[in-house]
Amino acid sequence: MVNLIWKDILIQKRQIPIYLGIIILCFWEDGVPLWWLAFITSISFIMNAFYYDEKDNINILLNSLPYTRKQIVISKYLGALVFTGLFIGVIMGGGFIINGMELSFSWKDILHTFGLIMAFLSIIFPFFYKFKQQYLMIGAMVLFVVAVFAFRIVMQIFNEQFDKVFQWLASLPELQLYSFTALVILLLYSASWLLSMRIYERKVF
Amino acid sequence: MENVIELQNVTKSFKGFQVKDLSIAVKKGFVTGFIGGNGAGKSTTIKLIMNLLKQDSGSISVFGLTHETNERAIKERIGFVYDENIFYENLTLKDMKKIIRPAYQQWDDAIFQKYINQFELPLNKKIKTFSKGMKMKASLAIALSHQAELIIMDEPTSGLDPVFRRELLNILHELMQDGDKTIFFSTHITTDLDRIADYIIFLNDGEHVFTKEFYKIQEDYAIVKGPLDLLDADTEQEFVAVQKSNIGFEGLTGNKERIESLFGESVVLEKPTLEDIMYYTKKGGRLNG
Repeated sequence: MVNLIWKDILIQKRQIPIYLGIIILCFWEDGVPLWWLAFITSISFIMNAFYYDEKDNINILLNSLPYTRKQIVISKYLGALVFTGLFIGVIMGGGFIINGMELSFSWKDILHTFGLIMAFLSIIFPFFYKFKQQYLMIGAMVLFVVAVFAFRIVMQIFNEQFDKVFQWLASLPELQLYSFTALVILLLYSASWLLSMRIYERKVF
Repeated sequence: MENVIELQNVTKSFKGFQVKDLSIAVKKGFVTGFIGGNGAGKSTTIKLIMNLLKQDSGSISVFGLTHETNERAIKERIGFVYDENIFYENLTLKDMKKIIRPAYQQWDDAIFQKYINQFELPLNKKIKTFSKGMKMKASLAIALSHQAELIIMDEPTSGLDPVFRRELLNILHELMQDGDKTIFFSTHITTDLDRIADYIIFLNDGEHVFTKEFYKIQEDYAIVKGPLDLLDADTEQEFVAVQKSNIGFEGLTGNKERIESLFGESVVLEKPTLEDIMYYTKKGGRLNG
């Protein structure tokens, strides 16, 4: 499994200078929140690894090597967390040096980044496993439009209920709010993981 | 004799194509050639054996184990070569080795290096600059570098020049000196098999036609040539298929002795090539012998 995570780094080793370049550039731009920068770089890195695997028939290779399909999927979900951690580390470290030995990344920023990444991947990964690359862009756009409309309609219908939920959330002490959100995201990520595993186990190459 | 691969009543359907009730076995310690025309189901069968596809029904075992319970143990012992590229185009062979090596417990760098030298492969050039033959050589080098007991290859000789094709056959021959190894490979360049195959498994339209020892094929089968007046509705049944022309007929039989006793001296019998057998079987649709 560690091999498979390491593989995702190895296949992008030529792009690593580009990621670092973007990070350094953003340090000069004051407006970019660092947790957002960590989110964008991690997501690009994770999706890019996925794209390379699809493009070059790598699933045939991986499934012919002594790996199980479970391991292949798990490595993507765990790898995503590892890479996010690495990017946060690099950005924190860089900020620490450039901004004059000051920690520019609070623990909240770290939680935000992980939370966003996990929520985003929970939805995206099963689609990636289910559909072929060329349909994904179209699919993502359609999904986005549908999601926006669905969100509006749902909000209109359940306006009151949502208000209550938000009020309840807002009334929570910060620690509880974070724990609650963390729990929801963890559940979402685990459910997505199980779903991807099911999809991938049934896949043919 | 021990079977390394066993398929029993395996069926797999796709749109417009299916592998039907396939039961075949590959014997340990031998080279088995897997022949059949395009679309006969060779690649599908190989993918089923590699667990890249799941059968609709029937059972598949490799080394006596099934993929459901022993997938990793099975794949640890298989070296594979496919017809298509399965490497990252933008990486070098050196990087590919770094990715593949840790997957195997018994990887041997010295053997890998030996084959890289022998095949004259560049380690530091991107795979996308490789020719089809070079990609195949790279696959083969990897397949042979982790003490695999079973080498499975899908059309390894297609896209290779004649010189390397012969070289490949020599390498496989050398490999077989170690009696524990088994080679199973599909091809439609049937002359490759003359040099090396012990057994032939023949597939036609998704159906198993025969599994025979190589020498036995020429004992059973014959190309028969004779005058047209020998053919009638009954005698034509004796052939897999016949081709008629103004000067006579030519047909394939799967029962040489019977033809000899039936027609005696009035026909000429010739040794068939595997290509003859594939051609007439395709033409006749079905074998009765």
